[in-house]
Amino acid sequence: MRRLFRFVVSAALAALVLVASSGHYRAWAAGETAPAGTEVKIDNFSFTPQAITVKAGTTITWTNHDDIPHTVVSDEKLFKSKTLDTDDKFSITLTKPGTYSYFCSIHPKMTGTIIVE
Amino acid sequence: MADVKTVGETDHQTLVDRNHDGIDRRGFLKCMAWAGTGALCVVEGGVLRSFALDSYGAKHAKGQLSFVQISDSHMGFNKPANTDVVVTLKAAVDKINALPVAPEFMLHTGDISHLSKPGEFDSVDQILKSARAKEVFFVPGEHDVLEDEGAQYRERYGKNTNGAGWYSFDKKGVHFIGLVNVMNLKAGGLGSLGAEQLEWLEGDVKHLSHSAPIIVFAHIPLWTIYPDWGWGTDDSAQALAYLKKFGSVTVLNGHIHQTMQKVEGNVTFHTACSTAFPQPKPGAAASPGPMKVPAEQLRAMLGLTSVDYVGKKHALAVTDSTLE
Repeated sequence: MRRLFRFVVSAALAALVLVASSGHYRAWAAGETAPAGTEVKIDNFSFTPQAITVKAGTTITWTNHDDIPHTVVSDEKLFKSKTLDTDDKFSITLTKPGTYSYFCSIHPKMTGTIIVE
Repeated sequence: MADVKTVGETDHQTLVDRNHDGIDRRGFLKCMAWAGTGALCVVEGGVLRSFALDSYGAKHAKGQLSFVQISDSHMGFNKPANTDVVVTLKAAVDKINALPVAPEFMLHTGDISHLSKPGEFDSVDQILKSARAKEVFFVPGEHDVLEDEGAQYRERYGKNTNGAGWYSFDKKGVHFIGLVNVMNLKAGGLGSLGAEQLEWLEGDVKHLSHSAPIIVFAHIPLWTIYPDWGWGTDDSAQALAYLKKFGSVTVLNGHIHQTMQKVEGNVTFHTACSTAFPQPKPGAAASPGPMKVPAEQLRAMLGLTSVDYVGKKHALAVTDSTLE
């Protein structure tokens, strides 16, 4: 059975591509301010911290500090950022507990994990 | 006296030009020997220079077929060490136009654009129009297929190709195969050709004579250079298995923004420089991000590759030159 999911998309959806599959999340568009939450840095072709544990409903924001574009893509295609150029950000709020593995679809050696409690 | 280095599989041997004509004959013979029917690679002073094109090339490299490989133009990149990749791509075209032997066509081994933007592709197309070689054969890099699974790339450069953009063609007895290994990459993996493309490749070469020279070009190296940085292709061994029967196979790649060669049996592997920015040697930095080099050093670290195929001798001369 298809799992329930909900997401809110701002009209100014410039920097994000949402993959409408399954899973609970809210994605934040460019120009929106995501609430304070957990930050993941993209630096030197890696996600730091590589693994994070958050409470359900926490907003996670990735910022690309590299001179090369990266993406944040769920292994199971539950979420997918648009290409993040230098200083671009991508935020999601995961509301369903579970383990979410993700990677950079351009540089697939870059991997990370989010555990939602 | 020119200081000529030949770069073999593992050795870096310095050879000396004894005839003061830019050709080291001992090195030349050694090169021809280690490459079997394969390649001659001439590198000057450790850093690749235009030596071979300007002197060796003018006198001797009048092969049956000459073409040029350019790679990783990254149009749209605008950060240190190269804030003007237009100028360096134009410099590469100037270099091509100054070659003593006019190339019949060009190969672009991907990362044409930096962010897959239409304007970036337009700029490259415009600049390449001024090259003496009018025909350009492309394969995509991962930067060319960012948002749309490569639809725009195929619309521009991949008409009449198969699948994600792979194809083959023949020029003067040489069979060229353009492969795509930047699509559907898996978490934790390297470059990927995929089952459909491998099946196509098997069929494409099935009926070719064993003596047909094969040139394969693709963006990510088809040999494992440095997996930690993704410099390899997960299923390249299967592709190479289909090419085992051929006496001469040359594999031309980009992606790593530096030249490297390796000879393995009948296969000569070669990577080309970028026309945009250099990347560090494998493992020499925290990441494969752009190397920030002083402006005066930049052009010595960018370049292009020219290939001359001499039909009678079944010899391929693969020559790298910088943009200096």
